[in-house]
Amino acid sequence: MMDSVKITIPSHPKYLSVVRALVSRMGELSEMSEASIDKVKLAVDEACSNVIKYAYKGDAGKRIAVEFRITQEGFEVTIEDSGIKANPELIEGRSLDEVKPGGLGIHLIKRAFDVLAFDERKKKGNRLRLIRYKRGDNED
Amino acid sequence: MKIEVIDYKGKKVMEVSGEIDMHASPSLRKELMSLVSKKTTPLLVDLKGVSYIDSSGIATFVEGLKGMMAFGGKLKLASIPAGVMEIFNFSKLDKVFEIYGDLDDAVNS
Repeated sequence: MMDSVKITIPSHPKYLSVVRALVSRMGELSEMSEASIDKVKLAVDEACSNVIKYAYKGDAGKRIAVEFRITQEGFEVTIEDSGIKANPELIEGRSLDEVKPGGLGIHLIKRAFDVLAFDERKKKGNRLRLIRYKRGDNED
Repeated sequence: MKIEVIDYKGKKVMEVSGEIDMHASPSLRKELMSLVSKKTTPLLVDLKGVSYIDSSGIATFVEGLKGMMAFGGKLKLASIPAGVMEIFNFSKLDKVFEIYGDLDDAVNS
């Protein structure tokens, strides 16, 4: 059996809290630790924020689809938009040793998920797939 | 998110509570940069009631710190909850900001 939940939110930052609430519940259902849920929640929030900022350039009138799947291997999140295509090669955060605003989000996504991949088959917009494999008991 | 600016033991304190995300950060930025532009120093920020922060919130505080440093002012963060502190640690900003266990420690520093 595969458990999955999909929501579609308007591309307005006020709906990010709805996504975070759902991540928390899905994380609990997948028996993640509280620390892991916090990391995953922040990572999904950052990925959706990036859609609003870069794919939709702040246009709040678009849609973002977020799907959560609990699998045997772990936890998957797919985030889809119909905005400007991301160039994965240009997605690089600032060095964590640099002190400047911005560039932290991608690091927060990468620390929570083992796989971060844009689906190249998607013609218009972006489909970002994030996978977090199950951890051991004391690993977050 | 809620922001209140109060006077505490002769110091200006910005009390922030709730969730600081991409939706809330512009209000935080407006309030913080307004105090920075008035050269309010030291400015103490009490984060006791903050339950969540994302990279836009962190970026806002970095911007505030840079604005303060530009004129030799001080921005001091106090009472950071563990979950929020974890993000400061991860981003190595715990070594950049002046961080105090509670507001009185910040006032007396």
